[in-house]
Amino acid sequence: MIRLNRLSYNFGSNWALKDISLHIQKGEFIFLTGHSGAGKTTLMRLLYGALPLTRGQASVAGYDLHDIKRGQIPMLRRELGVVFQDFKILPNRSVYENVSLALTVRSMPKAVVDKRVRAIIRALGLEKKSYSKCSSLSGGEQQRVAIARAMVVNPKLIIADEPTGNLDFELSLHLMDVFKQFHTHGTTVVMATHSREILRCVPDARIIHLEDGQLSEPPEYLTSELCPC
Amino acid sequence: MLALFFRLIGRGIRDLGLHPWANIFTLVAVTMVSIMAGLFMLTLHNVNQELLKSKGQVEIQIFWTANTPAEDYEKQWSDLHNIEGLKDIRTFTPENALKQLSEALSDTDDFSWLNESRNPLPPTALLSFSVEPGVENERWAADLLHDLKALPFVDKVHYNPLQIDLARGWISLTQSIVWPIIGFLGLIVALVVGNTMRLSLMTRKDEIEILYLVGAKQWFIRLPLLTGGALLGLIGSSAALGILYAAQQFFSDILNFPPLFMKLTFLPPEQCLILAGTVTLIGMLSSFVAVKN
Repeated sequence: MIRLNRLSYNFGSNWALKDISLHIQKGEFIFLTGHSGAGKTTLMRLLYGALPLTRGQASVAGYDLHDIKRGQIPMLRRELGVVFQDFKILPNRSVYENVSLALTVRSMPKAVVDKRVRAIIRALGLEKKSYSKCSSLSGGEQQRVAIARAMVVNPKLIIADEPTGNLDFELSLHLMDVFKQFHTHGTTVVMATHSREILRCVPDARIIHLEDGQLSEPPEYLTSELCPC
Repeated sequence: MLALFFRLIGRGIRDLGLHPWANIFTLVAVTMVSIMAGLFMLTLHNVNQELLKSKGQVEIQIFWTANTPAEDYEKQWSDLHNIEGLKDIRTFTPENALKQLSEALSDTDDFSWLNESRNPLPPTALLSFSVEPGVENERWAADLLHDLKALPFVDKVHYNPLQIDLARGWISLTQSIVWPIIGFLGLIVALVVGNTMRLSLMTRKDEIEILYLVGAKQWFIRLPLLTGGALLGLIGSSAALGILYAAQQFFSDILNFPPLFMKLTFLPPEQCLILAGTVTLIGMLSSFVAVKN
């Protein structure tokens, strides 16, 4: 699903990623860990084409990021679902409108859009808020809207950048259940986090640890005392 | 595909309601700049009308050579009646002219020595024309003067010197100063409208980012924004034209007193279209540039 070969990225003289090589198989659940500034977000932004690849090689969902043309980036993103810590939803639009956005950009027929949006909204327990403006929702509900928008397209890969970072622990556990459900249906998940509790929710997940932009062994405190939530 | 195209245009129109205050302020700015541009065009249009048409009256005096046979100039006088736009013609044989001159000057001096055998005056004709609005005056006058000068035995043709000087001066002014000013004004309109549009699109920065994230193609994002920009430009410029029209109706007679007798007229339809079209186009272009950046 993802293949990175000697990938490096710099912001001016500051190297955010150095010589990263890794291979992520289809259906894997990956936790990307590391302290703030370790390069997690930069790596994720490279994966969904928000940053141009300047050094090394990368292939995501069948797209070679080194040779990808500007016009192909939307096609790459249609294979992915991206979830952010700050939700990135449209606050002045309804839950339904936010979720359907991912399908309408694909020019899908209205009936299909309606069916799929209603199904995912129901699955995430948002059916009573379908027509509420997102600005009136709680943080947990807003994040569920963002997840619904990412999942409604049946993505091959979900990239989640600290999706529980703004939520309390209980809500975070609930959202992890949602991610796990989608993962059991075969979706590859790459999730950045620095929360030990979140790591423990998916005991069979692979942990990829970044330190100063380089891959390193995860510290023991992250891998020990795993207890299923 | 066509259905999607119209759906996106519809979305562009509906989306104007999402950020009402930002759009209202943009609209006000666009309207004000359009009023400024329209006011300049209106001034230019009225000055142009007055200077070139002199309230629709142009007088031309034709002088024949002194020894022109009477039958020749008399035939030409009757032919002159057929010129298009001729309102009045007054003709003077050398004898008539002398008589009128003698009568006019008899109170001041003795002109009895000016008799018919020593008459220095040539036959003349004074032609008054009514120029229809919309006629390209300088071209029309030039053509007419050229034709009149080409008549047999015609010595010279006078076209009200003040009027022709003003017209020439105005043409030279428009060529050297007014067009650069119009260009500069257009640039100001483009910058103000463009920047205002760009700033109003900042309120939709997140939306554009999210659309890119979920895999929207460029045109899917841009079409509603271009529609919104065009609509703001069209509404703003139409409002400006409406306000200017109301002002013109209210102040149309403000300069209609002696000796000016200027009645302010509104912009002709093609100039209204140019103003509205330019502002609409600038609205679209600035939305395009804003999204691109």
